[in-house]
Amino acid sequence: MAGLELLSDQGYRLDGRKASELRKVQARTSVFAQADGSAYLEQGNTKALAVVYGPHETRGSRSKSLHDRAVINCQYSMATFSTAERKRRPHGDRKSSEMSLHLKQTFEAAVLTELYPRSQIDIYVKILQADGGNYSACVNAATLALVDAGIPMRDYVCACTAGFVEDTPLADLCHAEESGGGTSLALALLPRSGNIALLQMDARLHQDHLDALIEAAMTACKGLSKVLDGVVRQHLEEVSVLIRD
Amino acid sequence: MIKTEKVLHLNSSKGRKVRVVREHYVREQVPCGSSLCQADCHNDGKVLSGDVTHYVVPDVGVVRDFLEILEFRELQGIVLTQTAYQTVQHTRGRRQYNRLRALLKDPRHDCVLFANEFQQYCYCPRDKGESQDKWHTRNVYNAAVWYYNHLAGLQPVVMITEDSDAISEFSALNMLNYQYLFGFRLDAAYDLYNSIAQTLQERESEGVEKVYTEHLPAEVLEAGIKSGRHIQGILSVNKHRAQLEAFVRYEGSVSKNTELNSDVLINGAKHRNRAVHGDVVVIDLLPRNEWKGRTMALTEGQGEEQPLEDTQSQPMPSGRVVGILQRNWRDYVATFPPLEAVQSQSRNSQKILVIPWDYRIPKIRISTQQAEALQNQRVIVRLDSWESTSVYPTGHCVRVLGKAGELETEIQTILVENCIHVPTFSEAQLREMPVNTEENPWQMDTSEISSRRDLRETHLVFSIDPKGCEDVDDTLSVRTLPGGKRLELGVHIADVTYFVREGSLTDLEARSRATSCYLADRRYDMLPAVLSADLCSLLGGVDRYAMSVLWELDAETLDVCTVWYGRTLIRSSYQLHYELAQSLLNGEEIEVPELSQLKGSQRDQKQAELLQALETLTRVARHLRAQRDKGGALELEGVEVRAQLDEEKNITALVPKQPLEVHETVAECMIYANHWVARKIQENFPHQALLRHHPPPKQEFFNHLIGSAKARGFSIDTRSNRALADSLEQAVDPQDPLVNKLMRMMATQAMSNALYFSTGACPEEQYYHYGLALDRYTHFTSPIRRYADVLVHRLLMAAIQLEEKGSLSKPFASNKELEELAQHINNKNRAAQHAQKQSTELFQCLYFRDKDSHTDERCVADAVIYAVRTNGFLAFVPQYGLKGAVYLKNREGQVVSVDGDGRCEWKAGILQRYPDRISTCTSTGTHIFDLFDHVTVRISVEPSRCHADSLCLELISNKPHCAVQPESQPAGRGRSELVQEVVRWAEEASLQAEEERGRKSKLSREEKQFRQSRTPNLYVLLQEISELALLDLSVCQIRNTEEQTCTASS
Repeated sequence: MAGLELLSDQGYRLDGRKASELRKVQARTSVFAQADGSAYLEQGNTKALAVVYGPHETRGSRSKSLHDRAVINCQYSMATFSTAERKRRPHGDRKSSEMSLHLKQTFEAAVLTELYPRSQIDIYVKILQADGGNYSACVNAATLALVDAGIPMRDYVCACTAGFVEDTPLADLCHAEESGGGTSLALALLPRSGNIALLQMDARLHQDHLDALIEAAMTACKGLSKVLDGVVRQHLEEVSVLIRD
Repeated sequence: MIKTEKVLHLNSSKGRKVRVVREHYVREQVPCGSSLCQADCHNDGKVLSGDVTHYVVPDVGVVRDFLEILEFRELQGIVLTQTAYQTVQHTRGRRQYNRLRALLKDPRHDCVLFANEFQQYCYCPRDKGESQDKWHTRNVYNAAVWYYNHLAGLQPVVMITEDSDAISEFSALNMLNYQYLFGFRLDAAYDLYNSIAQTLQERESEGVEKVYTEHLPAEVLEAGIKSGRHIQGILSVNKHRAQLEAFVRYEGSVSKNTELNSDVLINGAKHRNRAVHGDVVVIDLLPRNEWKGRTMALTEGQGEEQPLEDTQSQPMPSGRVVGILQRNWRDYVATFPPLEAVQSQSRNSQKILVIPWDYRIPKIRISTQQAEALQNQRVIVRLDSWESTSVYPTGHCVRVLGKAGELETEIQTILVENCIHVPTFSEAQLREMPVNTEENPWQMDTSEISSRRDLRETHLVFSIDPKGCEDVDDTLSVRTLPGGKRLELGVHIADVTYFVREGSLTDLEARSRATSCYLADRRYDMLPAVLSADLCSLLGGVDRYAMSVLWELDAETLDVCTVWYGRTLIRSSYQLHYELAQSLLNGEEIEVPELSQLKGSQRDQKQAELLQALETLTRVARHLRAQRDKGGALELEGVEVRAQLDEEKNITALVPKQPLEVHETVAECMIYANHWVARKIQENFPHQALLRHHPPPKQEFFNHLIGSAKARGFSIDTRSNRALADSLEQAVDPQDPLVNKLMRMMATQAMSNALYFSTGACPEEQYYHYGLALDRYTHFTSPIRRYADVLVHRLLMAAIQLEEKGSLSKPFASNKELEELAQHINNKNRAAQHAQKQSTELFQCLYFRDKDSHTDERCVADAVIYAVRTNGFLAFVPQYGLKGAVYLKNREGQVVSVDGDGRCEWKAGILQRYPDRISTCTSTGTHIFDLFDHVTVRISVEPSRCHADSLCLELISNKPHCAVQPESQPAGRGRSELVQEVVRWAEEASLQAEEERGRKSKLSREEKQFRQSRTPNLYVLLQEISELALLDLSVCQIRNTEEQTCTASS
């Protein structure tokens, strides 16, 4: 449908949020017993599952391993039923390999890889339902999974998208907003230090607006980090109660 | 904020149904937009007033189908639900949606949008199996209930719907009952309701026989345009053959096909496929063997006759409409047929075909029961739809204008047809105005006085305007600075922006009007009279606020040393008029009215002072003019004004016998001020300044001029503006001054219009003003009557602020907004000019209507041939300044033959056309009509019931007409008398008809209201034509055809 009004004159978005409001985030960690760490995260209707193995010895050829730090191996995939129209998505298509690469770069910046030389950390993420902001859901889920696996990191990595409609930055775009044709910027942030782990934007945007857009995305990321922190603490409480018994 | 989910069923791109789950967040705090709110909602923007009897919540169906009724301003306290708002967006398309948005934004309408679907307690999810309409109605009902409770029952809330189930279930009201119950005495709304309801009803019971092919769906069209299979363009219908010919002009050149750089012909109604003039359409090209040529012959009346094969031009690209991207329907004026015609037209007398005033619009089918009452009345009609099963579009009647043929009706018709909307200023707007009455005179603010530069004591300020002018928006001053090395020239313009604050109601109204509109007998002001004729007007002897530009010039070389811009305080010492100023300059002994009180020596001294100022001013203006000429400027403009003035009627009325130098002096100073202001704002706001440019004309438009000039042995060089001016200067026929005049007219026709634009929207090399030969130009000097000048004033103030403080107190309009505004002003200007031209024609027709063309001396006039067509020629009648076609061949195929003493009669024979002449050959001999020949024509009126009357020229002799009136009488005066005479007739006629109601007093009140000064400011008009138009509107229609001929032949 062309011509959807992404931001009404009263300042509401399509789904009833205001410009800077995030979608509802729900998450759980330790969803799988076999894996070293795992997490399930819902960001609105976008649902992601992340699993972490490692650190362990480098699989396959030895030559891949690095002598001074660990190798991070990411794999991103989408379930066939994740979008409105069913579509088989073979592994290794261009989109998912690009996404895998982005994830890898993001976590290389956050994980203290130099603690584990000559080893490997595997991160597998799967999108169960795609409703915009797939990348950020993956990053957030993977962060939780890494925390769950006990892998030391500099900080949480929080990611969020932001768009720009009618001179107003919109935080955390849903699918309808993303496909509406406007600008969309994905940003992964280490919230405490304020360092940016990854910033990606394909569309055209006037230079004057870039600062406002990044600012909006960073605020959203900081909001997300509080949610993730809460999830981790709650999980800890649950676990420690179990231990005490 | 609570998250819920909303399940939608959408169509996927492949046409399958897809189930989509969307998130939906609801919250407790949603602003209600009512001033009665008890819960401290954050209501910013528009709020519903609390002093209405109740609030109205219209249902989805009501908003969708009866939006026009909601647009009545008498309907107050409307709460529009988001449900209804979004449904309109999804089901009714952009146009209606934009209208709804405009309604909500308009501060004059008492209505707000309530986002009910985001309110936690209003929103109800859709039940399984519930139909969409039911769900919507339930939502709206919930919203209404919540609204009532939210206001703590302070205000009754009424829901209106057309759904009968809902009425019984929720005890809502339907539209009809609503209007009865709440006793609106809105007959208009009631009629409108009936006509819409009937149209809706009939649409359902429509037959299924297809007349037109279906339009393709929008996605197919878009894909087709991208791939180059289809072509997108704007449909324009040929006014003279409205049923047959239409053309599509490209928007951008998508097609790589180089052949297709001209327009595409759409021949016949089948191929036009329900498109209406002005629509954005998508067309397919027809195969080459189906291409047709355009008709070159002049046709009388509407094209009832089939064009003959031999009168067609070369086959040109032809196409058919396959889809319509955007309807550009507006309000149309149409005429009801007389009763006999109605009865024969249809048996059930419910559906009636009305004929629009505009030739280019097809007949419209209307359902009404008032056909009898409305016969021969002009009404405003709105189009609803055009189904493929119907030959004509369906519409409904909105408002009755009056009986066809009456002056007031016709003037209203002209206004509506040009989309000029000029209601009287509302009370809220007038309340914003400062008061200036005798018992309570307006006073200046002391803080304003201190913040402005005070020129009252130091400068000798005076204005020069036509006699009797009341809205003085420009004054001048000039003085020698101490030391005598430097001169100071000042232009002081009325400070309208001080009174009209940005965003105020008056400002919004002025913005939507964009310009004052001058018709032949009246004018519609842009600003309320208290401003335009009093407080803004720089009258003599009173203190006024002004915006000034002051130049310091070197006294010898007259080069600019420094420029100062800013707000000032002035008191105009002399309010001169042109003749007086010129006689002062000529050294004649003349009394200046302002000095008549003074005595002897004091008076002489004052007069000498004034005279010296005028002389200096003239010297400076001469220098400025020479400077512009030297810089490659053109003489065209100055002379053009004079030639041009003879074409425009009510402007001609102002032309003095000989143009005085002082006219040019004033004009030159104003052009100079405009130019310097343009420089200033462009430098400060390189991306968002409002300037005015005049693009150079296309060379092929000059073909007609060059060809015609060659017929008389002149050569015209059109390579640059200067070359054109020079060659026009030389192309003078000593025996016949009209030849030069006509050629200047043709040159003017070839030029495009000058336009406003925002600097960010245009590359810098396109800023150039061709007519004035200036690199940057804008409008600064008439803020009382043009909105563009108001904008420029604000820009200038912002620029000054930016330079002094380095920052702006508030951001100025962005480039995009400014460009949109510039387009709006351009459109409004064009509409105002069209209206002016049409009112002129109307008066010409009214003038000739009651004269017997065979006996009345005044109906015979001299005419000059200025263009040749296959079955006649186009002629210009200088005495009345009108143009028209003269046919040499009538419908029986007879041609005009000329006998020995020059008289003409119809005889069998043949016509032959050459590029520069046309000849008739009959049994009595051959006669040739050359370009620029003088002939005698008889002017008669061809009455038309549904359209504007037209004038018809008939050849009676091939000799020049020896005028009974002396030739030296200025044509202008004749025409101004014409206007006055027609106005008098109309008044007398209405007086006779309604003597007891004393209509005359009403008229004279209107006169007071609309005609503060009968004569518009002359400078303004001079300038208007010289650089705004540079286009003779009275030849628009002919120009249109010529343009197409040019492109077709090239």
